[in-house]
Amino acid sequence: MGHGDKGRPSKKLKFSAKEITQLDDEDAYFGGEDIDDDVRDGEGKKRDFTKLELKPDHINRPLWACADGRIFLETFSPLYKQAYDFLIAIAEPVCRPESMHEYNLTPHSLYAAVSVGLETETIISVLNKLSKTKLPKEMIDFIHGSTANYGKVKLVLKKNRYFVESPFPEVLKTLLKDEVISKSRIISEGSRGSDGFTISKTMGEIGAGPSDLLNEAELAAAAEEKETHAFEVDPTQVENVKERCLPNALNYPMLEEYDFRNDTVNPDLDMELKPQAQPRPYQEKSLSKMFGNGRARSGIIVLPCGAGKSLVGVSAASRIRKSCLCLATNAVSVDQWAFQFKLWSTIRDEQICRFTSDSKERFRGNAGVVVTTYNMVAFGGKRSEESEKIIEEIRNREWGLLLMDEVHVVPAQMFRKVISLTKSHCKLGLTATLVREDERITDLNFLIGPKLYEANWLDLVKGGFIANVQCAEVWCPMTKEFFAQYLKKENSKKKQALYVMNPNKFRACEFLIRFHEQQRGDKIIVFADNLFALVEYAMKLRKPMIYGATSHVERTKILEAFKTSRDVNTIFLSKVGDNSIDIPEANVIIQISSHAGSRRQEAQRLGRILRAKGKLQDRMAGGKEEYNAFFYSLVSMDTQEMYYSTKRQQFLIDQGYSFKVITGLPPPDSGPELNYHSLDDQLALLTKVLSAGDEAVGLEQLEEDADDIALHKARRFGGSMSAMSGANGMVYMEYSTGRHKLGKGQMKSKPKDPAKRHHLFKRRFG
Amino acid sequence: MPQVRIIAKNFMDMVAALPAMKLDKLYENAFICEAILRSLPPLAKKYVLQMLCIEVPVTAKSMEEWVLPDGVSKHRVAIDRLIQLRIFTETVDRKRETTYTLNPIFQTNLKKLLLYGVVLPREPMPSNVTVRLPSSEDLEAFALEQWECFLLQLINSSQIERPSNISSSMMKIFQRGLLSQRDKEAPRLTESGFQFLLMDTNAQLWYIIREYISNSEERGVDSADLISCLLELSFHVTGEAYNINTLTEVQKNTIKDLADLGLVKLQQGRKDSWFIPTRLATNLSVSLTDSSSRKQGFVVVETNFRLYAYSTSKLHCEILRLFSRVEYQLPNLIVGAITKESLYSAFENGITADQIISFLQQNAHPRVAERVPSVPENVTDQIRLWETDLNRVEMTPAYHYDGFPSRDLFEGASDFARGYNALLWEDPEDSKKMSLVVKAENHVHMREYLSRQRQ
Repeated sequence: MGHGDKGRPSKKLKFSAKEITQLDDEDAYFGGEDIDDDVRDGEGKKRDFTKLELKPDHINRPLWACADGRIFLETFSPLYKQAYDFLIAIAEPVCRPESMHEYNLTPHSLYAAVSVGLETETIISVLNKLSKTKLPKEMIDFIHGSTANYGKVKLVLKKNRYFVESPFPEVLKTLLKDEVISKSRIISEGSRGSDGFTISKTMGEIGAGPSDLLNEAELAAAAEEKETHAFEVDPTQVENVKERCLPNALNYPMLEEYDFRNDTVNPDLDMELKPQAQPRPYQEKSLSKMFGNGRARSGIIVLPCGAGKSLVGVSAASRIRKSCLCLATNAVSVDQWAFQFKLWSTIRDEQICRFTSDSKERFRGNAGVVVTTYNMVAFGGKRSEESEKIIEEIRNREWGLLLMDEVHVVPAQMFRKVISLTKSHCKLGLTATLVREDERITDLNFLIGPKLYEANWLDLVKGGFIANVQCAEVWCPMTKEFFAQYLKKENSKKKQALYVMNPNKFRACEFLIRFHEQQRGDKIIVFADNLFALVEYAMKLRKPMIYGATSHVERTKILEAFKTSRDVNTIFLSKVGDNSIDIPEANVIIQISSHAGSRRQEAQRLGRILRAKGKLQDRMAGGKEEYNAFFYSLVSMDTQEMYYSTKRQQFLIDQGYSFKVITGLPPPDSGPELNYHSLDDQLALLTKVLSAGDEAVGLEQLEEDADDIALHKARRFGGSMSAMSGANGMVYMEYSTGRHKLGKGQMKSKPKDPAKRHHLFKRRFG
Repeated sequence: MPQVRIIAKNFMDMVAALPAMKLDKLYENAFICEAILRSLPPLAKKYVLQMLCIEVPVTAKSMEEWVLPDGVSKHRVAIDRLIQLRIFTETVDRKRETTYTLNPIFQTNLKKLLLYGVVLPREPMPSNVTVRLPSSEDLEAFALEQWECFLLQLINSSQIERPSNISSSMMKIFQRGLLSQRDKEAPRLTESGFQFLLMDTNAQLWYIIREYISNSEERGVDSADLISCLLELSFHVTGEAYNINTLTEVQKNTIKDLADLGLVKLQQGRKDSWFIPTRLATNLSVSLTDSSSRKQGFVVVETNFRLYAYSTSKLHCEILRLFSRVEYQLPNLIVGAITKESLYSAFENGITADQIISFLQQNAHPRVAERVPSVPENVTDQIRLWETDLNRVEMTPAYHYDGFPSRDLFEGASDFARGYNALLWEDPEDSKKMSLVVKAENHVHMREYLSRQRQ
């Protein structure tokens, strides 16, 4: 399945036979993020569509559609809800603030629309009904062109036999003209029909179409049972057949559906949702997209952090009721997933097991749930005997559901590996931030499936399902001395350390911690990407911290103390805390350093405090509490940080969040009660920053979730630890655009020699 | 209504600025007297009415007794205004006692008005003559279209569909101060030109009328005549037809110009022709308290700095372009984004953050107008912050000197510059380079000094 790499610059194409890739490849999947500068930018993009003809009753219709695929939706229209559900199915949301949403029609979004059962003519006619103007001809052509081939062919696993299914026999004939496919075909005896296709009826789509927008005749057509034609293919050839159908070959990409009700071969798993697990409306909606026609579709569901992704995952598993493999990004979230399964479903303890470097459990019986990390499955090196056995079991089992958490952080390379290693009937990806412009959307689309549902953040805030966060950007002026050093050429490698350690920033941070701890009794997370700063801040303020090298046991201990103890109200996290560590108690985030312009990181961090707290009625629009969570981003004025912070906020701003700029923190009258008040202290700090080695003040290197073997010194390879453990790409990249120009970047200065490691790391490897 | 009052005040300021002779001539017209009376502050109105039948001077002292101690400042304002407009004549007699008399012409006219009631300047034409009068919506649309067309032409936009009839010489007069033209370049909007576009229609109208009046002498028209004509016009009823033949020659010419601006609509019957005042004309008057003259807003600004304007107007598009990046133009919607770059270019053109913000607020779409604030706080904050950001750096034109042959000369020069308090920067002592930066205004002295040293 090597299709995903097509079209990417060849110099980045270093993945291949090599299991372990070099450092430089880390940006192959992440470099894309910063290059993708908003497509909206540029005066050249200005478009004049004034000649479109307005319909006489345009006021009652909610949207405008432009020839270039852009769609504008009024949220105050009475038809908003219906229009939103429809648009989210056919188009990519660009931005969704309060009054006006923008969407883009793209081939991918239309592919997703087709795959949830919308047909070309339905899309056009509903869009036309909603549009204030006559639909531009270009758009109609575009929809026709994009949907002509998509969704016509399905790959269905029935009774453990693979069928290629389509309502259009002529399409199947086209496919069979291909040599690879015709060779893979199994001609069974019972086939009927002139072409030898099996003809059967499938249920019509329920709940996927915008039923209230269609007239009766159209509705009847949609719900009607459809006749489908199918031929069987050899299970061993399925991957090849799939590949032949991809856009770069025959261009009939196959949708995967799993007829789990009729699967009698795989044993059922006795689990169902507990009665108290009541999916919320949007969770219900996302599930209905997945199970729209009584089968399970593969795809991705996008929900904001804290909106209850895990319940969606558990619900999906309980509907399919087959063995389920759940993949998470790290050991802590493995524990959390296992907990969620037990919390929401009736699964028995012996039916669920965790497989990480620390715990190697196995479930009893012939069906169960395994929770593990991507790295554990994809790891290519030698494993301990015990894990080898477990991995063998995982490989040999036929999984009903492959549940993948945080799909946005996992490199496609690893996906491919995981998917080729494990046999699954249905794949469900979960994420909060599908930053769309990077090319990986292509990979995800074809590796997992189309995006099935994406929730609107602001609607969830209004409904009280996630916290209403006050976002603020605190502008901290650089002190004169720090700024002078910042500008010096010889300190180019210390720039980050200098602006993060800016005493004014430190004081603002200290002030905010005090304010929230003492005045509001909040629980605070402080994020710092820069390890030097993390340690300095945490030590000075005497707060616990977690970073890459903190052991699993210690992490659990600190998190537990943060959750339960009244004395631990603030913790410092490095970027290990960005994803999937669930800390529901926290409601304040202070970010003192971050990874360049990564919008995803910003959103993920915000996600740590999105879980709604307090009573539902207080949180709903118009309730008692206006804001119940706070997100502060501290930036040093006149430094690169200012530029990055604007970029970082883009995703959240597009979701309708606004960042309030705060200047003058700490208040001018604050004196020596905050640290670094005197010039002497500040200068001492400056000396400390300047005398630290370049490596020490650089970015933290994550060796997140290194496998048990990878931690073994004797088996270490020459590359970086993260690359070896398969976690390359888990590292947020800095300077992805600038570095080629400059010829050197921070990544290059990474210490490869263990002897040069930070002293904190040294201890671990010594 | 506040805008209307500002116009009125301005209009009356203009009246007040007229020379004494012309003012007296103005007061011969009863309408003017009434208009002036209406424009006065409440206390001044009261004084005029109180003294309407008193023929002898009233002492300042006795007048001061009329007011309570906390009303003194208002009293001062009222008296000042009355003197400005020459309604009161102030005399100081030998005993240094100040007395006030009411302007006799003004007094007589006002008395007449009170005795015989208001007489309209002219009667509307009977409806059997003027059969096809436009509806009030049509008239409104005509006025706005005419005004917009005029503005587009004024700012030299390329978007004009049909030019108005206003003579190019007149247009040039209006453009004075709003547009500047360097040799062979296309004319550019000046700072005040940009600000002009952001003003609301009434304020713009006032600006144009003021220019129109103050240049009337060049066209051989008496400014007092013009003012009385405009004031008279404001006493007509919107939407009614008035016979053109009742006008004087000067007034006829004026009415034609006003038609081009959209203040009146001209129509031709079989025998007669007539003019129909639009709301723009009646808005000029002080007496008009029509609050519905405020146009409905059309702009929605989102927290992500995107801007949606419900408008079909090319002028609106031009205005938005002043400070935002217009991205999409749809049949009835303009989509743009407020960016740092677009704002910087606006600031460069002399538009202030406050002007942009108040434009956005005043024109907020009804959907968001009730929301507080109507423009998201983070956007207004950011606009202001970007503006203050620009002011953090102070520019001082300067000269850079380097390549000094000796340390002594360098130090001497730097001391010399310091003596003028003109030394902005010099290389630190430990640096091998010897260069210094001195304010440009002292360059002459520096050059003299250096050439003297070289000899």
